[in-house]
Amino acid sequence: MAPPPAAATILPPAQRHRGYWAGVGRRLLRDRVAMACAAVLLAILLAALLAPWLGLADPYRGSIARRLRPIGFTTPQGFTHWLGTDEQGRDMLARLVHGARLSLFLGVVPVVNAFVIGSALGILAGYAGGKVNMAIMRTIDVFYAFPSVLLAIAISGALGAGISNSLLSLTIVFVPPIARVAESVTTSVRALDFVDAARASGAGAFTIIRVHVLGNVLGPVFVYATGLVSVAMILASGLSFLGLGTRPPEPEWGLMLNTLRTAIYSQPLVAALPGAMIFVVSICFNLLSDGLRSAMDVKL
Amino acid sequence: MKLGLLAGVAGIALAAMTAAASAQGTLRIAMTAADIPKTHGQPDQGFEGNRFTGIPMYDGLTAWDLSSADRPSVVIPGLATEWAVDAADRTKWVFKLRPGVKFHDGSAFDADAVVWNVEKVLKQDAAHFDASQVGVTASRMPTLRSARKIDALTVELTTSQPDSFLPINLTNLFMASPAHWQKLFAAAAGADAKAKAAAAWTAFAANASGTGPFRMERFVPRERLEVARNAEYWDKARVPKLDRVVMLPMPEANTRTAALLSGQVDWIEAPAPDAVAQLRQRGMTITANAQPHVWPWQFSFVEGSPFADRRVRQAANLCVNRGEMKELLAGLMEPAKGTVPPGHPWWGNPKFDIRYDPDAARKLMGEAGFSKAKPLTVKIQTSASGSGQMMPLPMNELMQQNLADCFFKVELDVIEWNTLFTNWRRGAKDETARGAHAINVTYAAMDPFFAMARFLDSKMAPPVSNNWGFVNDPEFDKLVAEARSTFEAGARDAALAKLHARSVDEAVFLWVAHDVGPRAMTARVKGFVQPKSWFIDLTTVSMQ
Repeated sequence: MAPPPAAATILPPAQRHRGYWAGVGRRLLRDRVAMACAAVLLAILLAALLAPWLGLADPYRGSIARRLRPIGFTTPQGFTHWLGTDEQGRDMLARLVHGARLSLFLGVVPVVNAFVIGSALGILAGYAGGKVNMAIMRTIDVFYAFPSVLLAIAISGALGAGISNSLLSLTIVFVPPIARVAESVTTSVRALDFVDAARASGAGAFTIIRVHVLGNVLGPVFVYATGLVSVAMILASGLSFLGLGTRPPEPEWGLMLNTLRTAIYSQPLVAALPGAMIFVVSICFNLLSDGLRSAMDVKL
Repeated sequence: MKLGLLAGVAGIALAAMTAAASAQGTLRIAMTAADIPKTHGQPDQGFEGNRFTGIPMYDGLTAWDLSSADRPSVVIPGLATEWAVDAADRTKWVFKLRPGVKFHDGSAFDADAVVWNVEKVLKQDAAHFDASQVGVTASRMPTLRSARKIDALTVELTTSQPDSFLPINLTNLFMASPAHWQKLFAAAAGADAKAKAAAAWTAFAANASGTGPFRMERFVPRERLEVARNAEYWDKARVPKLDRVVMLPMPEANTRTAALLSGQVDWIEAPAPDAVAQLRQRGMTITANAQPHVWPWQFSFVEGSPFADRRVRQAANLCVNRGEMKELLAGLMEPAKGTVPPGHPWWGNPKFDIRYDPDAARKLMGEAGFSKAKPLTVKIQTSASGSGQMMPLPMNELMQQNLADCFFKVELDVIEWNTLFTNWRRGAKDETARGAHAINVTYAAMDPFFAMARFLDSKMAPPVSNNWGFVNDPEFDKLVAEARSTFEAGARDAALAKLHARSVDEAVFLWVAHDVGPRAMTARVKGFVQPKSWFIDLTTVSMQ
């Protein structure tokens, strides 16, 4: 897990309010790797959102007579399967693009959920301190005792397969690390002079959290959370691969990888496509997160 | 000195040559199981267990004829030479035992050994009773109750009700050596007799003794089992040609294929259908033969299930394109028209012809009140993998597509294989079924109890056995009872044929495929005959 930024680098809101985000944006735009990754992700996201209007084949209907065709295969009727067909004879391009919807959804939504829940818990624990901190953080430590993959499989196994259960299990997996980051940043912010000053001038706990704590805490937690999207995607694909996530016939990259894996000897390139997509998207999320982290670190 | 050295070298060379001349080689097999099936005589891991750690190392009183690829595999004498039911009391059977048979430890096989082996799973207060062996054994011979010695080579077996299936069921009870176990028991450590017995069984599994054509040589749990030729095997025609067989667990089909292609093993079970072309290209032999195996959807008849309506069940049977399914599996299946294929003694000429006829299916669905505008949503519980399940996800996806043409909206509830198998015993009313209207668990059909009785008899409803969907039809109950109590083979087959024909007419299952048990091996493997069975005979195999 990434260490939270040191307290010393966090500046009071009054000084950094103007110009900070503009600076972050400027630094990010100069980062070529991060920008390339953002472009790839944007393209995939747009394709996923616009999938029904792109004129692709039906991702649910195939023809066994045309199963496992190579990349660029053209049918006698003149339809070209640009990325070949899968084991049921369905168009791989259509399946991959439609699959992006579910795979991105399963990568992003649990992290957003965990970001909201984890930040709230972490800030509460960090700001309140004492017994509240003890109760929240030790409970979270229990979840920490299990490796994330094992925890996700255990929860999904107990709840059963399905998209909503995958979302729930991945959310539970990501709440503890996010809460921990939020708690450590909050604890360091809470001890700073401007918080004492706000308290001395009569501000209530809610105002202090909203004005002074949130602004300082959400940035680092956000950066950390973007890095988790790739992990979430891989875990979600893993659950589907094991039959614990998405159900057939939904196109989802992990599930496609499972059903295509036995074709590795007859159509290796086609069989590798879902895995390649998972790899490209997760590495792009990781590199973009790294770029964001560098851009937000004012010491650089 | 020099001369002595020379003589020594010559001696070693001669010894090596002699060994090479008698050696018929070592066969290395990759199994689909994730672990070595239990080796103490009652294997787990389904019938793959019986195939690899049962039949090669042990014998039962009765056995399967595995010698022909063309004839159906039937029950033949094993350690019993003949048997008969008591004409006056049909719950009593007399089995005559084969004389002169010895266990691998040298002790004699006799009536005491048979009684001891029945009691290991049925007599709870016996010193050697082992609860861990009961699950896989008692459910396969549900009516056997006790055994009694009449003389050294005659035993009497008693069943709870007249049951003509007993000799078939007994192929599942393998004879382990009592003398060898007793020796291990005496040496075992444990606080009380029960703990000592458990320790003795563990020791027995690592150092087993049966009467089979192969004896255990080396056992590394989860890694490998090596068995060696038993030159003193009682059936001289079946003394193994091989010196040694090494069995390795490899649950993943791609791993097995890679292991075969790279020369790590000589033989793999169940190659992935899509790898078969590549394997053939590389000079591997692919063997396959129809098996008494069924890949079905087992319907729920409980209140509220749409499959309680026969028209819906028949429509589903007519809407699956089994030709496409065969193509999906690269030809490695036989389309199913019932639990047994036409021509089988139990076939019985049903009136309902299972075929691909979507028009007829749509007509039936229309009569049942469903249409394109008002489709029927059904939920099917299945697994992503599992022994005998073939390729469950792609196969179910194809059915989902096929059935959509006949107004079915199929939802798949994919759960883990062992969980699915457990749910199968709990039934459609249990909460673990999660409201499913059918369950997709494959079954063995070589034995009338396995093939039909456990699914059609209302007394076999959960938790007793696998009547998952609570089929409750007095006519089926009557036909099962009739078959069970008919002891003459021809008449029994006729009774079973009536039962089978009615099950097809009532479309109790959605029958999809019979597995053909594909296996791939290098060209060096010679003499293998793949029978129409789940089991195989390794004694005929040699390595070139």
